[in-house]
Order: sequence, then C-alpha cells, then structure tokens
Amino acid sequence: MGSSSKKKKEKQKDFQKPKLKVGKAKAKPDNFTDTSFKSKSITLTQQSLTLHAPSTTHQFTHHVSLLNSKSDTQRRDSLAHLTTHLTSAPTSQPLPIPVSTLLPTLSPLILDASTTVRTQLLKLLRTLPPSDVEDHVASLMPYVRAGMTHLAADIRVTAVDVLSWLVEIAGEAVVSCAGGWIKTLNCFLSVLGWHTEESSKWSSNRAAFGKAGAKGKPMVKVLGVLAEFLEAGIGEDDDEMEVDGEGESGNGTGVGGFPIVQTDVHMVPKSAQPYVYLNLFGAPRDEEGEMYETREERFRVFKGRFLVPVERGLESARQDGGEVGRASSAVSKVLKEARGVDWEV
Amino acid sequence: MVKRKLGALEKVEADLPNLQHKIRRDPKSYIEDFRAQHYQYESHREIFMTAPSSTTETGLISLRELIDFIAHVADCYPEITKDFPQQLMDILSQHHLILQPELREKIVGSLVLLRKKELLDSATLLQTLFPILISTPSKTLRALIFQKILMDLRQANAKTTNHKLNRTMQTVLFNLVTSDRTSSKGLWAIKLTRELWKRQIWTDAKAVEVMKEASLASNEKVIVGGVRFFLGGDKEREEMEDESSDEEAIDLGRVKHQVGINKKTRKKSRAVEKAKATVKRRERKKNQPHPLNFSALHLLHDPQGYAESLFSKHLQSTKSKLNLDQKLMVLQLVTRLVGLHKLHIMHLYSYFQKFLTPRQPSVTSFLASLAQASHDLVPPDDLEPLVQKIANEFVSEASASEVASAGLNAIREICARQPLAMNETLLQDLVMYRKSKDKGVMMAGRGLLSLFREVNPEMLKRRDRGKDASIGLKAGERKEKRFAEQEAGGIEGLELLEKWKEEERRKRRAEKGLASDASDDEEEGEEDNWASWNVEDDEDSDDSGDWINVQSDAEIDISDSEDEKDGPPAKKAKSSESSSDDKAEKKEEEKEESAEAKFSKLATTRILTPADLAKLQELRTEAAINSLVPGAKKRDRDDPLTAEEIEGLAALSAGKATREERIAHAKEGKTDRSEHKSITAKRKERKQDQGKSTTNKEKARKKNFLMTLGKAKSKNKRSLVQTRAVLKAHHDRAKRGGRRGNIG
Repeated sequence: MGSSSKKKKEKQKDFQKPKLKVGKAKAKPDNFTDTSFKSKSITLTQQSLTLHAPSTTHQFTHHVSLLNSKSDTQRRDSLAHLTTHLTSAPTSQPLPIPVSTLLPTLSPLILDASTTVRTQLLKLLRTLPPSDVEDHVASLMPYVRAGMTHLAADIRVTAVDVLSWLVEIAGEAVVSCAGGWIKTLNCFLSVLGWHTEESSKWSSNRAAFGKAGAKGKPMVKVLGVLAEFLEAGIGEDDDEMEVDGEGESGNGTGVGGFPIVQTDVHMVPKSAQPYVYLNLFGAPRDEEGEMYETREERFRVFKGRFLVPVERGLESARQDGGEVGRASSAVSKVLKEARGVDWEV
Repeated sequence: MVKRKLGALEKVEADLPNLQHKIRRDPKSYIEDFRAQHYQYESHREIFMTAPSSTTETGLISLRELIDFIAHVADCYPEITKDFPQQLMDILSQHHLILQPELREKIVGSLVLLRKKELLDSATLLQTLFPILISTPSKTLRALIFQKILMDLRQANAKTTNHKLNRTMQTVLFNLVTSDRTSSKGLWAIKLTRELWKRQIWTDAKAVEVMKEASLASNEKVIVGGVRFFLGGDKEREEMEDESSDEEAIDLGRVKHQVGINKKTRKKSRAVEKAKATVKRRERKKNQPHPLNFSALHLLHDPQGYAESLFSKHLQSTKSKLNLDQKLMVLQLVTRLVGLHKLHIMHLYSYFQKFLTPRQPSVTSFLASLAQASHDLVPPDDLEPLVQKIANEFVSEASASEVASAGLNAIREICARQPLAMNETLLQDLVMYRKSKDKGVMMAGRGLLSLFREVNPEMLKRRDRGKDASIGLKAGERKEKRFAEQEAGGIEGLELLEKWKEEERRKRRAEKGLASDASDDEEEGEEDNWASWNVEDDEDSDDSGDWINVQSDAEIDISDSEDEKDGPPAKKAKSSESSSDDKAEKKEEEKEESAEAKFSKLATTRILTPADLAKLQELRTEAAINSLVPGAKKRDRDDPLTAEEIEGLAALSAGKATREERIAHAKEGKTDRSEHKSITAKRKERKQDQGKSTTNKEKARKKNFLMTLGKAKSKNKRSLVQTRAVLKAHHDRAKRGGRRGNIG
C-alpha cells in the first residue's frame, strides 16, 4: 500500500547503478576519501647529500646525539658504535668529546627500559679511561642509586653492575663523594630487603613487587658488590699505606727538605676538586647527603646506622646457604676485618 | 603459538599505579617497596636539583610520576614522607620559573592532595602558592593556582569559619594591595576577595578594607576592580545565593519509587541515600535563620574619609589617568557613599557643574550620580544652582525630547531627595511640561508634579495641587519639611506584623466562639508568644506537648490574681487597673491613633521575640514579592540610581522605538507565560516529563488501521457461540483483573 511502496522506493535508491557517460570521468563513489596532499619540501630520510664522508669526530658527536633517540635499537647501535670507536682508537689520543660532556648523556641510560641498551652501556663504560671517570663519580652516583631502587628488577641488576665497575676503578671516590656512603648503603639495604626485621624474615625479599630477574643470581651479585663496596669504604686502608710510603720516601730523598717532614700535606692536592668538601656553591647538605671522607667517619656512621640490619641480613643469608650463603661470607669477612681495625684504632 | 609481544612497561613491570593500589590495600606489607620508591624519588630529585631546567625524562619513570605516586600514598607512611611536602614546596618556590609545565602542575596538584590528606596545613600551603600566583608569568599556572587557592579556602571554611586562616589571608592580601600601589599585582587580591565575597565565605569588614585600599591604588586596573566590587559585589552575592537556593528540587517519592521498580544495584541505593541526605540538608538549611549579611558599603570604616580621598585622588586631581568610563564608575561609588551615609564632600557639587550639558558624553550617568549624591542634609544652596543649570541646559522647548525628559527626570530625582533645592517659579515653569506633545517629556513632567503634590504642594499653583493635597493643606496635615528635619523612624514591615497578629488573635477567638474584638484574653495570647520565644522552640513544644499544657494551666491560675505577671510592664499596668469596659474604650482610642502611629505601639510595648522577627522577615519578603507586580515599585535606599532611570521614558518618544522594543517594553512587567496549549497536550507533556508510558487506551487509539482490519473482518464472521465465548472470556478476565490477574 501507500507507505510500503514509498519504502520500497527508498530502499531501491540505495542500489541504483551510476550511469556511465562517454567522455566523462567516472563518478566517484560516495565513500571516496581524498588522500592527495601537498608538500612544500621533500625530505629524503635515507640519503645523505654531502659529498665527503664525515670525519670520525663528526660521527662520534653524531652518535652521541643519537643516544637520546626514541628507538631502542638506535640507542643500542649508537652505543655500540661509540664503544668500538673508543676501543679501536689508540689510548694516547684524546677522546673526541671529553668524558665530562659524555657522561651526562650516558648516565640517564642506566635507567633505560631496554636490556640490550643497558648491557651495551656497561660495555661502553668499561672502555672509558678510569682516571677521567673518577672526577665525575659524584654526578653519576644519583643515577646508580635511582637504578638500584628501580621498580624493574633488571634495571636494579644493571645498576649494581655499574656500581661494581665504579667501585673497581674509583672506590675511594665512590664512598667519599657527597651522599655516596649513607644513601648508597640505604639503597643496598632496600635492594636486599634488609631494612626492617620483618622484611628480612621473608625469604622472597625484593621479589615482593616487580619481577625478580634470574632466580637467586641477583642476590649473589648484590652481595658481592656490597662486599666490594664495604671493602672500599671501611676495609683495610690502602691509602694510609701509601701515605706512609710517601712519607718514608719523602724522608728518604728529601734531605734538603728537613724542616718539612710531610711535604705532601702542604702541597696543592692532586685531585680535580680539592675543596669540594667545603660545599661553597651547593645547597646545604643534611646528614645523609654529607661527605664522609675518612674511613673512621664512615665506620662510625656504619656502626650507628647499618651494622644491626646488615648483620641480621647476613645471618639470614648464611642460613639460606648455597651460593647466597657463600656470597654473604665475603661480606662478613670484610666486616670482621673492619671491626678488627677499629679495635686496633 | 606465537609469543605475545610485550610492551616496554609490561616487560619491566614499572607499574607505579599498580603498586599504589597495592599499598592502599595493605600499607604494612609493602613498606619495603615504598621505601625503595622513596629512595628512587630522592635520587631523581637530586638529579633534578643539579639541573632543574633540563628535561627529566630519564628512562621509564619520571620525577613527575614519582611525585604523584608518593603524594597519593604519603598518608600511609607519615614517618618516611615527613619531609616530602617541604621538598615539594622548595622545588616549586625556587624553580617555578624554569620548571616544565607538566611537572609544575603536578607539584601544585600534589601539594593540594597532601593538604587534603592533612599532611600539610592550609596556612603553609597558601603561603607557598600565593607568592607564586602573583609572580609567575605563566597564565595556565596562575589559573591553576588561583583555582586551588580558592578551593582550599572554601574547604577550610566549609564546616565552620576558619577565622585564623581568613585573618592571615586577608592580611596577606591587604599587604599586597598596600605595599606597592602602582603595580597591578593587587588584581589578584581583588579577584580572590571578590570571589570569596560572592560565595559568602568572607563577609567581614576586613575583606571590605582590602577592597577599599585597592580602589585607592594608583594602577587603573586595580582601581576599577576595587570600585566595581563596591558597585556590584553585593548584587553578585545575592544572585549567587538565589542560584544556589533554587537548585532543582528532588522528588524523594519518585526516587524511591524508581528504585522499587528498577534493578537493585549498589549504585542506585547509594543514589537514594544521597538524595535523602540532600533533602534533609536542605530542610535544615531552610529552618536556619537568615544570615545577617551587611553590604560592603555598610561595612566600611570611615566612609567620609574614604569618599573624600576617592574623590580627591581620582576625580579632582589632574594627574589621574582614568578615562571617562572609569571616572564615571568612581563617581558613582562616591555619590552612592554620599547618598547612603549622608556624607558631605565640599567640592563635589561644584565638580558636577561643568559636566551638566547635553553634549557631554554619557551625561545621564552624571545626572544619575548627581541625584544619588543629594540627600536631605545637603544644603539647598549647593544644589539649587545645579538644578537651575539642568533646567536651563536641558529643559527647553527647543531641546530634543530625550534631552528634556532626561533633565526633568534628573530634577525630579534630586528633588525627591532634597525638595528644598527647588524654587517656586522654576517648579511652576517645569510642571508646564506635562502638557508636552512628546510622551516621554509629558511623563517626566507629570512625575515632577506628583512628587511635589506629595512633598510640598504649596509650591505648586492652586489648580495643580490636586484633591488630596488641597484637602491635606486645608487640614494642616501636610507641612513643608524643614531643612535636616528627621522623621521618626520605625521598623520596616512592622505594621504588617501587627496586622498579622491581629488576624491571628481574631482567628483564635473565633475558634473559641468569643466576640472577635473583646480583649480580655489578650494576655494569654501574649503568653503563648512568650512560650514560643525562639523559632526552634516551636519544634520542642510539639515534641513535649503536655509539658507546655501544664504551663498554660498555671498561667490561667495566675491570671486571676494578675499581680505577679511577668509580661511587659506597660500592659500590666493597663490591664490591672482597668475593667473590660475601660479596655474597650481604650481600644477605640487606639484605633484612631493607629492610622498614624501604628508602628510605635507594637515596638514600644513588646519585646519582639526571634519568632516575631522571623515572621517579620517572612512578611517582608512576601510584601516584596507582591510589589514586584508592575506599577508598584518602591526604591530601596541601598539600590543605586542608574542612567536608565534618568533616561526614563524617553524610549516612549514617538518614532524612536522599533517594533521589537515596543513589544519588549509591553512584556516587561508581565509574568512569564508558557506557550498556549490544549489541556490534553499539557497532560501529555507532563506525563512524558515524569517518564511514564502510554496507557492501553492510547496504544489502541494509535494502532495502525491496517493491523486492526483483520480482526474486524473476522469478527463479522463469528458464529453466535463464538461471540458468546469471547464475551464470556472478556467478562471473566475483567473480573479477574486483566490477563495477568490482579495479584499485586
């Protein structure tokens, strides 16, 4: 009837064939989308238009700038390039970029999300000349500490690795830089989960949240690094020996310098920032951020704050046995020695 | 099976929101994790502090996220996070200029969050945020901080007024305004004060003082802001109150009904609870006494000094940089102050002299201001030349009709306030304009005439005086008011209250079946009044009715002796010495007097109880609503006089108004009326509004004709037996109550 025929017509309207006409362009369909665009310039991403091959220095700086790239692979490749450059170049030749400018771009990569980038970073760091790094430990340490308390277990492990490297090449600088002693020890305790009595009771410390890496392994590694760290901080002092030795040598050779017995003390210090402990330009530091430069100071602080939780943790680690137990024994040994020294002093 | 590809975040489980959620549920177990994150935050902060301006996008987690995280769970570990608020405040106040916008906003948000969790007190928060508000160049940050400050102040004053905080804040604002009068920073003080005034959070003199200082500043924006507040702040406040009071009413019955029908979910039951709470709160609010809010102009200390300094600083001095509009605004404020507080400023009237010409831009505003500035304590000598000048400049046969009507209106408004400013010859001249051809001028002339018929008919010619005035003059009732003569004041609306009381008494007596005008029972009624001393007491008496009854019985016993009554002494004396006849006589006397001095009786013989005052308020508002009906408008002394009123009916002048304007004018006084519709249509609409569906009848009526055809045809072909069966079934069904039965 009336309405139904109307509906039929409406329905048919949808399926009408478009009429083609000779000499005219084909009608565009309804759902046609115009995808043409205009551009003022053409950018070729792949090709370089320069005629000369870039110099090695130029390449080096270019790859340094690529370290902030968004893509994981790009960062990793750049790091690899830098590593090969450093290893292949003769050691006598200075770096194209000084370490002081290189480190600020490298240090955020400790917290990088990608594992490959971090491993590559570690390789690169190991190739850096140790003497240059020593002066910049203080700026590197916050990143290491941030890594050690990171939510992701992998990043924690990498940070511990980096710390191990740092302790290896500049142990004294690590433990005596601002905040390097108390804050780092705090981080260790939190990585190991030794802060409170309750938390150390749980066998699955630190795995409470976040994925633990390879089972058991990280714990061993952390204990190992802790031992190194404590050794550097409160272990038997090599420096004193050195001082003694120098003193002896001074006495031996310097016949003419009779009135000055310890020449070394009166000389301008050899370290890069000799007066940094005065903290002339920085913000005032609290107890945690303070510099603890001598072994005695460090041991006093350690005894007051960390001895009890560390011993408690060591005890439980020893009871765990296995690799962890063995690793803990290394730490215990350092502690014992430190105490022995302390008693002597 | 292909291994699922993992996103970066998933791979390393750097999932702070997840941890936050877990900490919320069980803070004790996750303390180690929180501690680790706190160290993480500390390290990041350290990194950040060495280079605050650099981007902090280090790896997966930024400082911003850590701050957010710690702020959210800070209340679980107050020991660990006790320095956290201070650290945030330090970062913000030291580095707000170079911080990334996102981080900045996050820090502000976190601080407010910490305030909500009570880890930070309001005063500290405001002391941190306010300096940033006035110093930061970023617009978004300013907007954010302003909003947060406002919110915090509102919340601090939500339950009870936080006097301490308000005082410190007001002092800060006051100092801001007064410390540097040339800077535009005072604008923030103005914005804040105005907003809080509008919301009735600050209603005291100190806030007004801030605005007063603002209007005496040297920066134009600040001046205008302060002046605007005095001219419009109170109106804004009233509007805000109206808005909040007429929120949509909640129909509790309907809400309950819907819950009964629909699926029962926790959400819906919560909604019912909420609706109940809202209704209860509103009910309580309705019963509360009306808060006494003085307008800003009344709260000023030393209005004379203020008006004088405003006038000399912004209007008289040649150094003032204000433009005409701004000057007009200041002038409006000054004249309002003069009119309201009856001040006297020496040079104000001579200042007007040069502006009173028809060619002066926005001259009507000047005229309105002049009228506002005149009150009955202004010496007529000051005003007379001005009136004369207006008459000369504006009102003449040659001038345009709008100009003439504006001049006449201005003169009328001045004379309404100070009739002595007019002299006889000028008045008689001006009154002649009521015969003008132009409607606007004619109305203005009539206005002047009727004004003087009331205030001083002797100045008019005999034939212009009108009947009432002539009779009044003969009887000697109407006398010219002398300069500075004061009328005895009364309580506004008191006569209404008295009338109402009279009616009540009459009703009560009618119930008891006594003559309605005998008055021996008056004492009892009065005692009832004493019983209901407070508004709240009414409820009490409802609750414990017998207790009150005992009281009233005792009262009747005592009323025989009539000696130790503790009613008002005047009444007592009257009633104790006089018999009922005496009283009747007195009553008559009183009736005669009451025409003139009704108010004096009630207010002087009784103490008005709070219940009385509440009733008085009610009656007053009622009367005000009644007076909204067009025609009967009465000016409140607090209301400003506007330029529109001076222009008056110039709009009526022939040929000037377009059709739309005329229609708008005609509609002006009429109440709002909805579209014309039939009753059924209205009913239908109402039904649809209430969300009800159609009835069966309606459905049947609407049913498609073709669908009914088949059944209609088959009906014709039924046999008798079939028909009977159908009818019977229908009957049974009807008895049962429908197909489903009338079960429930």
